[in-house]
Amino acid sequence: MRRPSARRITALLTAGLLLPALAACGSDKGGSADGGDSALVIYSGRNEKLVKPILDKLEKAVGSKVEVRYGDSAELAAQILEEGDRTKAGLFFSQDAGALGALSKEGMLAKLPQSSLDEVDPAYRGNAGDWVGLSGRVRVIAYNPDKVAEEKVPDSVHDVVKPEWKGKVGFAPTNASFQTFVTGMRVLEGDDATREWLKGLKANGTTYANNLATLDAVEAGEVELGLVNHYYWYERVAEKGADKVNAKLHFLPGKDPGALINVAGVGILKDSGQTETAQKAVDYLLSKEAQTYFADTTKEYPLAAGVTSSVEGLPAFDSLQSPDIDLGKLESLQETLAMLQEVGLV
Amino acid sequence: MSPTETASTAESAERPAGAPAPAGRRRVRTAARRVDAGSSRRPPLILLVPACVAALFALLPLGYLAVRALERGPGYAWDVVADERTLQLLGRSLGLTVVVVTACLILGISLAWLTVRTALPGARAWAVLATLPLAVPSYVAAFAWLAAAPETAGFTGAALALTLVSFPYVHLPVAAALRGIDPAQEEAARSLGHGPLRTFARVTLPQLRPAAAGGALLVALYVLSDFGAVSLMRYDTFTRAIHTSYRASFDRTPAAALSVVLVVLTVALVAGEARTRGRAGHARTGGGTARPAIPVPLGRWRIPALAWCTAVVAAAVAFPLGTLGYWLAVGTSATWDLGGLTEAASATLGVAAAGAALTTLLALPVGVIAARHRGRGARLLEQAAYAGHALPGITVALSLVFFAVRYAYPLYQQLPLLVCAYAVLFLPVAVAATRAAVLQAPPVLEDVARSLGRSPLRVLREVTVPLAAPGVAAGAALTFVVCMKELPATLLLRPTGMDTLATRLWTETGAGSFAAAAPYAAALILLAAVPSYLLGRSRT
Amino acid sequence: MNDLHIEQLTKSYGPEAPVLQGLDLSVPGGSLAAVLGPSGCGKTTLLRIVAGFLRADAGTVTVGGRTLAGPGVHLAPERRRIGIVPQEGALFPHLSVARNVAFGLTGLDRGERRRRMEEMLDLVGLAGYGERMPHELSGGQQQRIALARALAPRPALVLLDEPFNALDSALRTGVRADVRAALRATGATALLVTHDQQEALSTADLVAVVRQGQIAQCDTPQDLYRRPADPWVAGFVGDAVLLQGTVGNSGSTATTPLGTVALAARPTDGHTGTVVLRPEQLRLTDADTAGAVRGTVTDVCFYGHDAKVTVSVQGLDATVDVRVAGPLSVGPGEETGIHVTGEATLHA
Repeated sequence: MRRPSARRITALLTAGLLLPALAACGSDKGGSADGGDSALVIYSGRNEKLVKPILDKLEKAVGSKVEVRYGDSAELAAQILEEGDRTKAGLFFSQDAGALGALSKEGMLAKLPQSSLDEVDPAYRGNAGDWVGLSGRVRVIAYNPDKVAEEKVPDSVHDVVKPEWKGKVGFAPTNASFQTFVTGMRVLEGDDATREWLKGLKANGTTYANNLATLDAVEAGEVELGLVNHYYWYERVAEKGADKVNAKLHFLPGKDPGALINVAGVGILKDSGQTETAQKAVDYLLSKEAQTYFADTTKEYPLAAGVTSSVEGLPAFDSLQSPDIDLGKLESLQETLAMLQEVGLV
Repeated sequence: MSPTETASTAESAERPAGAPAPAGRRRVRTAARRVDAGSSRRPPLILLVPACVAALFALLPLGYLAVRALERGPGYAWDVVADERTLQLLGRSLGLTVVVVTACLILGISLAWLTVRTALPGARAWAVLATLPLAVPSYVAAFAWLAAAPETAGFTGAALALTLVSFPYVHLPVAAALRGIDPAQEEAARSLGHGPLRTFARVTLPQLRPAAAGGALLVALYVLSDFGAVSLMRYDTFTRAIHTSYRASFDRTPAAALSVVLVVLTVALVAGEARTRGRAGHARTGGGTARPAIPVPLGRWRIPALAWCTAVVAAAVAFPLGTLGYWLAVGTSATWDLGGLTEAASATLGVAAAGAALTTLLALPVGVIAARHRGRGARLLEQAAYAGHALPGITVALSLVFFAVRYAYPLYQQLPLLVCAYAVLFLPVAVAATRAAVLQAPPVLEDVARSLGRSPLRVLREVTVPLAAPGVAAGAALTFVVCMKELPATLLLRPTGMDTLATRLWTETGAGSFAAAAPYAAALILLAAVPSYLLGRSRT
Repeated sequence: MNDLHIEQLTKSYGPEAPVLQGLDLSVPGGSLAAVLGPSGCGKTTLLRIVAGFLRADAGTVTVGGRTLAGPGVHLAPERRRIGIVPQEGALFPHLSVARNVAFGLTGLDRGERRRRMEEMLDLVGLAGYGERMPHELSGGQQQRIALARALAPRPALVLLDEPFNALDSALRTGVRADVRAALRATGATALLVTHDQQEALSTADLVAVVRQGQIAQCDTPQDLYRRPADPWVAGFVGDAVLLQGTVGNSGSTATTPLGTVALAARPTDGHTGTVVLRPEQLRLTDADTAGAVRGTVTDVCFYGHDAKVTVSVQGLDATVDVRVAGPLSVGPGEETGIHVTGEATLHA
């Protein structure tokens, strides 16, 4: 009979389950972020690997305890919306402008002092003055110089849908930055033109899971061109060395929609009771130290006035010819996604 | 014998005097069956109250969905749902579900039969290995397949990854059921001229139906709720529509309206599964244990059978682990942050254990009632436990945010709330296991205990639970494993600053550092493999 | 004493004919009553209502003057002081024999509990088996432990649900006797549910035959066998020879195809009816014996301790069975005479 052995396994499992459970309940070290004046709670939609070092420094700069909750920007925005006026978040650090725009629209963000707003070009902050961009990333075309000469690389995304590039373009349709860029194109050129362009892209292109995979495909020569964000290439160069990276970047001229700049930014939750500390945090994030960190580490463009990136080979921010667009209008991706689905890209 | 005048045998006495024989016999049978069912119509309060608490718990997300979906009136919600695109996505989701469930049934039943009933070399080891895929998170499996075979992206890849991680849901209960079937029945069928295949199809398979259907239901709901694998594989399903709605428009109303569709679908599936139980018999009350079956010799099928087992285990377990090893070997971002790994691992074990404990506790009264009582109320309770199981984790998490912020603010973003979320998410897993375990315990033992002066609660504690304990523990182990792998609700509800292996894995892959992610994925799989291993072993 | 009284018990499971239709039954305290009936007659329902697992639609159940079930009363099973011995024993597989037997002994201190447990094991002849697990016992031993477990808390009433069914026939007689002895020793009132008439007749003090949810007859085994209430009961509790008969003028005899037979009781009404005889009341004689009816042997069935001889009699459509003890003097095809002894019953 196997009863004794079954009993032993039961006992083992019970013990195995209960001990860690008790331990977990006992050592509730998760930190009680009961809002209040002492601790600042940051909901960060930016990856921990990217921003933890600078947020650690921020803790010292603002002089109070900082707790960071990492997540997906959109999900954190949904969480804050659900929390409403009882939100635990003092500061929302978003990967893109859209999530900030959504909170702004619901009136959940506090107006920032003019001094903070003035640090950033009006194009990269909220219309209502309740969020600011911290760092920018620009859409570029990566190309493989072994396959295509620099001068042949298109100067506009409109060219990549031409027949000569059939089977030679890589892109990541599920990537948020790509979708923001498509939204920008819709705002700039209208839905019909964008839809036609997407159809052309679908006919010409190969889809990849994300920007990195697209860049890898360009690097390997699977495709000749790749629609990506600029900083992936610079990170790759920083990791492997410039001579080990084959692919090159082409920055599009002429305010092409393909040269859209999107930003990561912050907003202060007005009902959190942490506005004072959060304000200090915003100031720190716009400070030279923090801005330089973004420039050096994430290879993004620092957006605060007077800070320039020292990343080698990176074109100056004011030399970029990005289209004039109100980032606040990029808040809703719904129609873009519908269009991508309609075309069959996602 | 004198046929007309001498009424001498019990056989003829069975006919009530004066009644025509056939009618009389039918009546007699009906009554006999009714005695079985009628005895346990109303569950005692001591079970009913906690079971209702558990059901209410499981229904929390539905309350939230109702609030959100109807925020802009039923008309708006209907427009969202009735959209052509929505229906298309529903079709895609259902298509994926059908394929994955079918594949899981084939894998689960074939492996169960091979390991339990045949002379497969190393059958016990294979039985354990066939349980290990439980330990692999669907997103890790999808990652592995994408890395190795990018062309699988889409339907094929999604179906492949989901099948390979979820077939143990079918394998485990079917293997247990196979062990319970008296081999004498199969021998009788063989002696009546049926070959081994026909015997399996006509005698064995029908008896496996309830077990297989229960497993298939869990698989189906899992597929419907999965987001990790389908999003990585870029196969657009209903869950992706829900996620897209959050992501693209930051609008919770359409997401909620779409989620309601999943709930309706779940209720239909659960009702369908209940029908397969039909009038299938309850536990064998007989004291005599079934003779162990003599393993079927495989003959020239030995090599193909071994190849089949090897292929499945290789694809489901060895392959993802191998991919992780490869990432570790070639990656540059690999950092052995042992401290972080240990911390995340112990946090994972802690919350998963607490989650499994609470889930099992809540599932116990529901499972007992589902096994012992038949009325409509009992069925409703069980269905309530399942209702939210097809919802994506993010929806369940947001619903708990909604309720906790309003009614339990001190618990918000504290461990207890996360543990509650696990209970809401995984209650059906534990309910299914508990119900099956209680069904194995003969109800007559409970009657005897009552007659010896025990109250219903004490009968539960001293007879039902100890007898069902191995099965309940198996359910707890299964819940433990799924809690360990959970990501979306953990991200939203964990205490600020706490990391589990799954959230670390998410962070690392989000930064594109697969090699740095590999240790966390490997630790997750290896830790989850322990309870999976016990599950595989305890049934052999 | 712990008399059991059941009055007008009614139970139905839906719109169909009720399973129990106003059943009445009284069992004097300390006696063992068998409830005998074909499957589906309602005896299991009766048992479950008495035990408290089912609620009756109407009727009362009292034990020792205490109402267990009745209008507005339904005592929970655990408060009834009724022990049950289910089919195949149903010992708790996770508890040792000792803990099984002591399961119902609450409210006693350790020593007392142990004493009572050992006393019970002794009673069923299994002293020293306490530490074994149920699966280490044979079927008969399991059944006796189940009885010990039921008797340990000194129940007012013990219900035995076909407890000997699973035992093979050689074992059955022994266990049956042991159970009877144990029940006698404790003086408990007992209700034995069975469909086996031999078991009922040989074990019980009182046999209640259930038919379609009512007691067809409740009597001592002897009276039940000798004076069945009707031909159906007669056939159900044993082999019966049914003959058409006409009551004689005196009212104490009846004329049948097998001659004139004495009646056990004067029929209350009617002059013709079915006369019921037991096969062992017929005797074979020489074919020419005076007063005997002539017939031809068509078949002989030899059982060892006796034999059944089937005889075709002129004037009868069917054959009659005769039980013959001792050496057989006839074979198939031979002529024989039949002679009726003892008293018969006549049913209009």
